[in-house]
Amino acid sequence: MSVTRRQLLWATAGIGTAGALAACGSGSGRSDSEPAPAGSTSEQPRSGGTLKIGALGRASAVTRDPHGSQANESDYLIISLLYDTLAVPGDTANTVPRLAASWQPSPDLKTWRFTIADGAKFHDGTPVTAADVVWSLKRLRATPAGASRLPGIQPSGISAEGARTVVLVSDYANADLPLLTRLTTFVLKKDTKDDAVATASGSGPFKLDWFRDGNARLVRNDDWYGGKVLLDAVEVRIFESPQALANALLAGQIDVASNVGATAARTAGARKDVQVVRRPNDLAMPIVMRAAGGPFADPRVRQALRLAVDREAMVKQVLSGYGTVANDVLGTGDPAYARDLPQRTRDLVRARQLLGAAGFDLARSYDLVTTEDIPGLAESATLFATQVRETGVRINVVKQDSKLFWDASWLKAPLYASYWGTNDSVVFFASKTMVSEAGQNEAGWRDPAFDAAYRKALATADAAERAKVLHQLQEIEYDRSGYLLWGMADGIDLAAAPVRGLPRLPGYGRVQLEKTWLAR
Amino acid sequence: MSLVRFVWPAVRRLALLTVLLATVFAAVSLLPGDAATATSERGESATDLAARRAALGLDRPLAERFWDWLAGLPTGDLGTSAHGRPVTALLAAPFPNTLLLGGLALLLSVTGALALGSWAALRPGGRVDRAVATAATAAFALPEFVVSVALLLVLSLWTGWLPAVTLTGPDGAPASWRMLVLPLLALTIPQIGWNTRIVRGALADQASLPHVQAAILDGLPRHRVLTHHVLPGALPAIAVGTATSAGMLLGGAVVVETLFNYPGIGAVLAGAVADRDTPLVAGVVAATGAAISTLLLAADLIRDRTLGVRA
Amino acid sequence: MTVRKLVRTVPALLLVLLALAGPLLAPHAVDQPVTAPYATPDAVATLGGDQLGRDLLSRLLSGGAPLIATALGIALLVTTAAAALGILAALRPRLGRWLERAADLAILLPAVLGIMLVALAWPGGGRLAVAAAATVLGIPYAVRIVAAAAAPVAATGYVETAAAGGERLWYLMVREVLPNLRATLLALFGLRFVEGVYIVSIAAFLQLGPQPPAADWALMIRENAPGILLNPWAVAAPSLAIGLLAISVNLAVEGIAARPTPESAL
Repeated sequence: MSVTRRQLLWATAGIGTAGALAACGSGSGRSDSEPAPAGSTSEQPRSGGTLKIGALGRASAVTRDPHGSQANESDYLIISLLYDTLAVPGDTANTVPRLAASWQPSPDLKTWRFTIADGAKFHDGTPVTAADVVWSLKRLRATPAGASRLPGIQPSGISAEGARTVVLVSDYANADLPLLTRLTTFVLKKDTKDDAVATASGSGPFKLDWFRDGNARLVRNDDWYGGKVLLDAVEVRIFESPQALANALLAGQIDVASNVGATAARTAGARKDVQVVRRPNDLAMPIVMRAAGGPFADPRVRQALRLAVDREAMVKQVLSGYGTVANDVLGTGDPAYARDLPQRTRDLVRARQLLGAAGFDLARSYDLVTTEDIPGLAESATLFATQVRETGVRINVVKQDSKLFWDASWLKAPLYASYWGTNDSVVFFASKTMVSEAGQNEAGWRDPAFDAAYRKALATADAAERAKVLHQLQEIEYDRSGYLLWGMADGIDLAAAPVRGLPRLPGYGRVQLEKTWLAR
Repeated sequence: MSLVRFVWPAVRRLALLTVLLATVFAAVSLLPGDAATATSERGESATDLAARRAALGLDRPLAERFWDWLAGLPTGDLGTSAHGRPVTALLAAPFPNTLLLGGLALLLSVTGALALGSWAALRPGGRVDRAVATAATAAFALPEFVVSVALLLVLSLWTGWLPAVTLTGPDGAPASWRMLVLPLLALTIPQIGWNTRIVRGALADQASLPHVQAAILDGLPRHRVLTHHVLPGALPAIAVGTATSAGMLLGGAVVVETLFNYPGIGAVLAGAVADRDTPLVAGVVAATGAAISTLLLAADLIRDRTLGVRA
Repeated sequence: MTVRKLVRTVPALLLVLLALAGPLLAPHAVDQPVTAPYATPDAVATLGGDQLGRDLLSRLLSGGAPLIATALGIALLVTTAAAALGILAALRPRLGRWLERAADLAILLPAVLGIMLVALAWPGGGRLAVAAAATVLGIPYAVRIVAAAAAPVAATGYVETAAAGGERLWYLMVREVLPNLRATLLALFGLRFVEGVYIVSIAAFLQLGPQPPAADWALMIRENAPGILLNPWAVAAPSLAIGLLAISVNLAVEGIAARPTPESAL
């Protein structure tokens, strides 16, 4: 089952959210992960042991460049254990400090100063300096996708101020700029040659022992500035298929199967010796209805489809129940997410009324384009088509090859099923996919009131005021965007009984293993 | 004389291989989308894509790229993959792993097929013959993934006798021989089905020849007729037939290696095709094509030798 | 003897009939969830649920016809083309040498790789793309078999006499050589059918060919593979169906052909 995980990672570069400011400058609130469910919380974390962890990846796509395009989860896992980013995703806040201990904005929210953590040094013993960070950020910015990884930041806007401070200047006021520094801003030593990147020193919690064809062994960095690392070593194994990954865990060959899916969780459900780790709000699989033209341009038609879907059934059948019902607003993991909006439920009568009022042509059938990049996506489209037939709308599911889908249908087709493997914020999705000028405006949606709310949110420093604006923004999105978001899939890891302290964060928060330990 | 006999088939096989590589190279290049879009990230602009295309050399004419690639072959340079890594390095560990798995599977299936086919040939049309024919058809009709899943359940997940997947060590090879057993069986079982049919067919053809009929009429014991008169004559046909089936082994390897996480060339191929990675796909075809050509060459030699002895 | 021949075709006929009538017998719609994903067999779903909780039995009953049709199409096309080309090769040795080279070439290109290339180059092709690839890649090898069988026939006195008598080529092919290849062609057809089933299945495993939500045995095996421990029938039932189909069709073909080969009392 060569499921491609292409492009899950790109979505990690983003614009921030409310709540990030609260974490600024505090230096506290490391992304401590909760213990895995089966582990009793009274246990004292203990040091030692080797954790064998399996992650998905394709042998043909293995990359070792932290700033390259990473298609493999296994590569990303290895890289993020070896190298540090300025900030990482957190539990209570969207962004918590890592290599940058703290950050401060200028009053106009355009210039941000990041201070490097005390005692941060590379594996070869040399301290991490602002010059290293600036060089790494510029290298990241110079990659083909650099402009979308660090949006609004020009190469000239990255500079050092002394040995410990890095200055980032944004083209526009951005209250959530630190969010951009999570996940992709890996720091290497200044002037590392491209052909030496594979063996370059990092500053992360683990050091490289060996690497071969996507598999690696990493050993503890006793000198890590971020605190005591518990595991002696981590062995990462690359798996082509989620099925093989789950089987390896069930047969006891690995300790953790990372991001392995709901079916594996149910299979393991009967096993006492396997823990199922659920990470909520991990993956969005919205159905995109083109607002810019075509049969779904009328907001009433889009509303009708949102009322025609049976969300509970979708979560139950497509996700095997491993997920939550959603409310057509993206960014469900965000502390600023509007939980008070009324939950939209199925209303076939109203849906038919709306379709009639809009004069929707029920005589023809409509293509819903999808791809099999991730498990469940094609199935969700299939079930959706079956459900909306009850309103008289005939939908024909067209499953495309991944490449064709991204080239020809994404951003273009009148109706398609997309996905976002990120726990990113309300503002992130607004900036990337909904504001009029967004390069990846998936539905071609243009709404002046929404644009205004978005701009106001980015330029507002006061947290309470911002929360209010963000709520308005979500109300508009809830009312008339091009999205139908029926649910959010849980991220699911399987772990052997002795594994403790696995990360519980959605998306790429799952790779932080420095607090993980083994009770054996 | 014998040198000419060896060189000519070798040259012919080499020419065929080159034609094949050109075809595949062109075919992959004609696929919609190219390596630049396939390896891009969401959010790259058209200029970024053009830059990536230029960096990968995709803006040059097809013939020129193919010639460059072909010229590098004798030096062991298979070009650079779409992800920017040398193809030779990408295949260095997986290819020997697949040769090991495929070679063992071929050996095992040919041995099994010879035994089953001969057993069936002892009494043509008898109960054994029909049972073997049916079983062979069934085995050959069962796709590898069905066999794989069944083996996995019975021999690993339910009983815990064998490891479910292959894990590799720092040398890139399977960490334990026990990890080879399941993928080997999964590859061998359908293959035995196919090869048994070939063996049985070749033996039947041979058995109808006058000198064999004469031997039977002379009252020689059946097994003696089989080993002394039928098998030797049928050997060339069997050699060619089983060498032909080596290509099917690669097809099975794509599936089996993925399911058992075996670090071979099949798993690389599946990903390479999805990525439109022309140099990598061509590299895989070159490597497997060379392996199959060698096998066919060996079969040619066996045939020539047998015919030569007879003549 | 003819009764025995007929008996051997019964399983295949029954299976094909069942596959054709299956959609009428299905207790549920093939695309409606009726139970939990991978639910074990119960009163509602006799064989349990598939990966979306759809009724497995209904999908099993509906999933045979498309697979049989595809495999049948492949087998017919390959056998017909191979018969024409193979006989031609036997009658016209120069053409025969070229066909031999084409077969040599095709052998170097593993079928799976060929199917990947064709199906990816023709993304909307679906089942048709796989069938086309399987047909094109299957022909060279089949031609070789037919040519080998036709060569002795072409060399027999009466064909040579007819040729010398100025008979047209097609007449020689159809009236003189073809009738003598009945057994070979039937066996070839049976083998190609099994091969067709196999190739469509492998393609489905690689996410090529038949597309969801279609019910198709080959597709079902792949779709449901992750849940095999939850509801083993989801994979076992279509696997068994494919196995039975392949065996029964071969049984039927061998019955009809009544292979004359083992008349030798080895």
